[in-house]
Amino acid sequence: MATNTMTAGEVRRARSPVRSKLMDAASRWAFMAPAAIILAAMLAYPIIYTVEISFARFDLMTFSAVEFVGWENYAHVFDDYRFWSSMRVTLIYLAFALPIQIVLGFGIAYLINAPWRGRGAVRALFIIPMVVAPVVAGGIWRMILDPLWGIMNWVAGLFGVDGLDWFGDPTLAMASIIIIDTWRWTPFVILIATAALLALPRDIFEAAEIDGANWWSMLWSITLPLLVPIIAATFVVRWLGAVKMFDIALAATYGGPGGATNVINLFIYEEAFRSLRFAESAAMAVIVLVLTMVLTGIFLIGTRKLEDRY
Amino acid sequence: MTSLALSGGTRKSRFWPRVRIAAGLLACVIFLFPVFWMVLSSFKAQRDIFTVPPTLFFTPTLQHYFEYMQRADISRRMINTIIVAAGSGIISIVAGGMAGYALARIRLRGAGTIGVLILLSRGVPPIALAVPMFLVARSLGVTDQHITLILAYCTFLIPYVMWLMRGFFLALPKELEESAMIDGCSRMGAFFKIIVPISMPGILSTLIFSMILAWEELLFALVLTNRYASTIPVAIAGIAGDTVNGANWGALTAVGTFTVLPVVVFALLVQKWLIQGLADGATKG
Repeated sequence: MATNTMTAGEVRRARSPVRSKLMDAASRWAFMAPAAIILAAMLAYPIIYTVEISFARFDLMTFSAVEFVGWENYAHVFDDYRFWSSMRVTLIYLAFALPIQIVLGFGIAYLINAPWRGRGAVRALFIIPMVVAPVVAGGIWRMILDPLWGIMNWVAGLFGVDGLDWFGDPTLAMASIIIIDTWRWTPFVILIATAALLALPRDIFEAAEIDGANWWSMLWSITLPLLVPIIAATFVVRWLGAVKMFDIALAATYGGPGGATNVINLFIYEEAFRSLRFAESAAMAVIVLVLTMVLTGIFLIGTRKLEDRY
Repeated sequence: MTSLALSGGTRKSRFWPRVRIAAGLLACVIFLFPVFWMVLSSFKAQRDIFTVPPTLFFTPTLQHYFEYMQRADISRRMINTIIVAAGSGIISIVAGGMAGYALARIRLRGAGTIGVLILLSRGVPPIALAVPMFLVARSLGVTDQHITLILAYCTFLIPYVMWLMRGFFLALPKELEESAMIDGCSRMGAFFKIIVPISMPGILSTLIFSMILAWEELLFALVLTNRYASTIPVAIAGIAGDTVNGANWGALTAVGTFTVLPVVVFALLVQKWLIQGLADGATKG
């Protein structure tokens, strides 16, 4: 501070270190403030309110939580076979959709990554399914899979398979949900995977080729280990999206037939806004929230572990 | 190496890449088909939609577009969707961009905790927010208003923008704002005068991607709006789920095409950065 052209503000700041420290902190936190305020009001507060309702009796006359009832709502939920069946449905959906999407996504990414002129264009085209609104995706597939007029059953008929009742049969309805979700989300995995494949170090493969490694052993002992961290990360991102799945089931099957595709988000939505059972829905929402958080935490730790290993 | 082995090698190296490319193209065609089918069906007259085998060639008609535009309040929904997508996109890019910058560049006590919280917030199921939001909005008398939906969308957009922009700002050279601050700019001034202008491509792409996410959202729109501020996805859910009047595929495909088209155009415009952003979002998460 050897200059003699200090402004009044700078002189003051130089004089009072406490004040300048405060000003400095304020100017730092000013960047965080808008986001923090909005998220506190719209994210943190609603979660707290959900927890509160889940422990209360909900009065439909005043539309508010009136008295504390302890774990009663949770007990109701655990006694409700529909809750368990919805959880089972969600689990089946996740157990099939996620691995299929990851394997297909990385597989197709490998295919379209062959060095040729149209590579960039093909990759760009895969963006299109990814930006079709999920509710539109559910709608179009409802048309494609229609048992009578849908093009899918016409194609199946060409192969001698007739009368697949995609939305009437519980197993097929679940399959159709998984197909639609896979159609909508595999392109997302493909795009991440192509970026990952392009970033692989070339020289290792060249060295392996010179050493006479064949295609299979290169895939198995070089490519896959190098890709493990990104496969794990993609899995976590997809998991975070898939646990929220709602629109596709609503548009394509509306949970039917007989609850066979009633994923938990749709079930909670129905219970809250159709049956007006807000307290039980809040309890279910809290259960789903806690489960999601715990599993996400486990997956994130698992991802870190995998990253350290490879 | 013998000439035989050489020729075998070249044939092999030509054959497999071709199979690979063909398979990749086939996958691309399969994935694009539903969209193609939707657009095609939207131009079909009712009698051409309900045919076995499905028709590829027919006299195109704009009937469904005109009919549905008039019948339902689709134009108002379109305007609502644009307002909500633009509003939530802009608020999120400003708030999330600033916060992302703070995480990337400003030493804040507890920044690590905030980072973890943001990541965790991506795991919060929207249904856990929808119930209390509906109740609070109802008691405040702000259901069915654009601002309610805009703020609701900020819950998933801000964390998303924060994370993407954090990665973006981390990649910028540090000297930029340092020199600006030596020249007498405040932190905020350096951010808006120096950092924001040079980050425009990233900011715009993130904005477009946020607006796409808001454009497609269904759950909050179903819960928080009913007539006045209702959006296009709600209308589509209504048409798709309308089992009383049977499958109104003409309307569904027309509105669907109308909804998807602008998004596809925008997404293809920013595709390069979108792919980069996706990859970063997944790996640096």
